[in-house]
Amino acid sequence: MSFKIVTIADAETAAGFALAGVREVYIHEKKEATLVKLDELLASEGIGIIFITYSIAEELGFDFKRRMRAKKALPIVLRIPDKTGWVPKVDELQEIIRRTVGAEIIVKGGS
Amino acid sequence: MAKTIGVAPTRMELLKLKQRVSLAQKGHDLLREKMDALVIEFFGIVKRIREVRAGTMQQLSSAYRALSICFAMQGTIETYQAAREVTKVAEVDISTRHVMGILVPVVEAKPIERHALARGYGIHTTSSTLDDASREFERALGDLIKLAELEEGAREIALELEKTKRRVNALEYVILPNLKSMVKFISMRLDEMERENFSRLKRIKAMLEGRE
Repeated sequence: MSFKIVTIADAETAAGFALAGVREVYIHEKKEATLVKLDELLASEGIGIIFITYSIAEELGFDFKRRMRAKKALPIVLRIPDKTGWVPKVDELQEIIRRTVGAEIIVKGGS
Repeated sequence: MAKTIGVAPTRMELLKLKQRVSLAQKGHDLLREKMDALVIEFFGIVKRIREVRAGTMQQLSSAYRALSICFAMQGTIETYQAAREVTKVAEVDISTRHVMGILVPVVEAKPIERHALARGYGIHTTSSTLDDASREFERALGDLIKLAELEEGAREIALELEKTKRRVNALEYVILPNLKSMVKFISMRLDEMERENFSRLKRIKAMLEGRE
């Protein structure tokens, strides 16, 4: 079954993704409007992946995190760096490892 | 503090409790094995994520660079216009695979990289920097889709791992000690009754012998 890809980003990043064929882009302006849109996207059926930039996710803050915890298997939400390349200092994966395994573990290989 | 209130110190109860202890023990062992398997799976995925992520981020940043050049060379409005004209839509196929009873998504991207003519904007009015930017973004998108699959898998496994861990701990630190202390309580009580009975019989015997 095929699913659509959606991007939530600032205008320029969104333009880049549009060039790659991600037609459904949502340009972030206000927090409330984006949250409403995000809810709508999470509830709809035909969407496979949502890309959201780190800076927007950060701006949405706790509301975003709560939605991530409550969401179903689909759509997959992936946070990406925007055009400035900004990535939060806390590595989310590391965070998950610490929570589940109970210890910070550094995996060798990769970066 | 162990719970011993409300347990009738009878042999029946003891047998039942012993059965429950062995069942809990078995469940605990099974869950523990499941947890170990999940941890192995989880770290396999984490390792792959690290590798894929590094490559993806590099690709993405070069895509952004190409896009910036395009914005500068061709003009902002023209680039937005071209982005709006892109016709072919990138889609993904998503199926699932089982890992220890958890559904992990498997994402397959339909071919994303396209020929410059197939993108939908007019090549007559646009510059080659736009083609570069599009190509870079198509590549980045392919990588990102792969990364999304892996991260979602890791998330699902981590959630299950957390749940399993909680269950193992509950069994190990609450339920099993409770049951064991109940078993101990009952067997002590039964032994005590045994001894009481023994001394009573002795006494009766002595009384009977005294009467003769």
